Amino acid sequence: MKHSVNRPPTPDAAEDQGKEPTLQEIINVKLIESGEKERLMELLRERLIDCGWKDEMKALCRAHVKKKGRNNVTVDDLVHLITPKGRASVPDSVKAELLQRIRTFLMSAAL
Amino acid sequence: MSSKINGHVSPQPCPHLLDFRSRNGPKPFRALHDCIRVKPPGGCAAIRREPSEVPRCGTCEESSRSRLYACVACAAVFCHAPLLHSHASDHALSIPGHEIAVDVDRAELFCCACGDQVYDRDFDAAVVLAQTVNATATTSTSGSTAMQCSVAGSQPENLRKRRRVDYRPWEPDSGEHISRGNQSIPLLDATNASLVSSTQQPWGLRGLNNLGNTCFMNSILQALLHTPPLRNYFLGDRHNRYYCQQKNGAINGTKNSRLCLACDMDAIFSAVFSGDRTPYSPAKFLYSWWQHAANLASYEQQDAHEFFISMLEGIHEKVEKDKRKSQSPAGGGDCCIAHRVFSGILRSDVMCMVCGFTSTTYDPCVDISLDLEPNQGGSGKSSSAKSLNSCNVEADCMHPNQNGGISTLNGCLERFTRAEKLGSDQKFFCQKCQVRQESLKQMSIRKLPLVSCFHVKRFEHSSIRKMSRKVDRFLQFPFSLDMAPYLSSSILRSRFGNRIFPFDGDEQDASNDLSTEFELFAVVTHSGRLDAGHYVTYLRLSNQWYKCDDAWITQVNESIVRAAQGYMMFYVQKVLYYKESENQGTS
Repeated sequence: MKHSVNRPPTPDAAEDQGKEPTLQEIINVKLIESGEKERLMELLRERLIDCGWKDEMKALCRAHVKKKGRNNVTVDDLVHLITPKGRASVPDSVKAELLQRIRTFLMSAAL
Repeated sequence: MSSKINGHVSPQPCPHLLDFRSRNGPKPFRALHDCIRVKPPGGCAAIRREPSEVPRCGTCEESSRSRLYACVACAAVFCHAPLLHSHASDHALSIPGHEIAVDVDRAELFCCACGDQVYDRDFDAAVVLAQTVNATATTSTSGSTAMQCSVAGSQPENLRKRRRVDYRPWEPDSGEHISRGNQSIPLLDATNASLVSSTQQPWGLRGLNNLGNTCFMNSILQALLHTPPLRNYFLGDRHNRYYCQQKNGAINGTKNSRLCLACDMDAIFSAVFSGDRTPYSPAKFLYSWWQHAANLASYEQQDAHEFFISMLEGIHEKVEKDKRKSQSPAGGGDCCIAHRVFSGILRSDVMCMVCGFTSTTYDPCVDISLDLEPNQGGSGKSSSAKSLNSCNVEADCMHPNQNGGISTLNGCLERFTRAEKLGSDQKFFCQKCQVRQESLKQMSIRKLPLVSCFHVKRFEHSSIRKMSRKVDRFLQFPFSLDMAPYLSSSILRSRFGNRIFPFDGDEQDASNDLSTEFELFAVVTHSGRLDAGHYVTYLRLSNQWYKCDDAWITQVNESIVRAAQGYMMFYVQKVLYYKESENQGTS
């Protein structure tokens, strides 16, 4: 059982002929391979902390845990709770900045 | 799901984790250890089967999912978005024993059946190890390396856990009863009660005469006279100057033995809190301090911060000579009242950027000196990062200031605890690489003092240009301050993510012993030039602000204080800050 951890998964799904990679997929892979995704994630983290978004989400989670009790909350609960509000409250400036960065990256990667 | 074991809070494993552990031997996550990738050295830990692997869900083929988990049993990767589709849950529920997975981007264990994070001490220790030491370079056996990093579980000997004692209210014994009666001045009696109520000023407010450019001394004295733990110590007769002089006179009759800055402080406390409102001249204290700090004995203008440090040293030295107690390296402050009140512990982590080896040192400190930014916009330090997680050396990634360009105390503290790349001329000798390497340094606060003194470096001395100048830049400071984000525990958490630490219990003690909330009670301000300036102290008593300008004490509006040019700010632990009632004259 221990050695099977390093065994790669059986490549059955990949042989599906009808499945074309989406544009999102292609871009995502390019971002990861070049290391740009990691840089963007770090930038995003910094921006979301600066504008207080992280603190807001933290407060939401805290309030929820307080209400439900520490032992009755799971990670999935919290993700479910803050995902819609989180997505909605990202400042436009942050979105714009990241989009610009991705645009610049795509132009340089000459897709 | 958590329980306390010897004060350590350990999350209880879910039944699936227990089951997995029981079926997979003593080190069930051993195979995962080889898949821990840390890049750059010391950065975020990720799980990758091959270093350049792009993880994608085995069912839907998408790599752009936000949460991807690798099953610990069979290494298959699946996405997990419980509302839309969770191929990870499908996998967990379809094959028994495959419930435990690991987040590929965060290296955190997850139970797909419970939908919650789970913790394994060995796995977390392995991840933290990988983040601090390059995994491929370990040649020693069974993962025990001679690391100085406290992650290894060994704590510095000087940080013993202090035993808690039960609270017992104080009652004076017979000896204390007598000495109280003999040498104390009643705070409230018929003669001065009327004095207090007529002027309507709080206790202990008394002007200090300027004896010749001594505003640097007066300003610090005013702050110290109203430092709650210090005030309580002296007013509580914990250093009786008559008893102290008597004792010293008996030991050796030379003039120097009678020098005791604490005795002189005691005299000032008695004078200032006597109820007499006429300005007081601290001449004896000045003379004593001159004897202590002979190099500064003159009528020239001095630096208030320098005086502050010198004074604390003076109180410490005398006590040390008496009791033959050296300052404990832990900065526990058991040596003297000055250190008991002001001493905290700073933690410094220096990490080699080549191999990730981290050297941790602890140093006591009585205050924190903060740099002001050189110019607006914060473009000064492009090579520093928020934490040791990322080393983004990007010229266009400017770190914006909060509040749109105004310097704040929190901004300075954040910069103080930011990971900084040491310049190429300051290469640090890495014990692992055995050569000088470029390093990242990060400061954090291991233990908070009772009173935090922040010193703003407004006087710049440039040895290159052989000139000094004063930085007049405005600094915004809060009346209430929470030091939690600057503690070592917070900084480490932001560096490593959600882990159980071997020393978690100890770190929690350090921050839970006393709260992290502080209240401002004194501000020492400087106006004028470097060579010709004036110090003024603002004191906060009963939630009113008072301006102490040498002999003149006036009540001022808090907006004046907010607009003042802060040079030294004194914050006391909120639990020690008594919001005294308005009525001072009642019994």
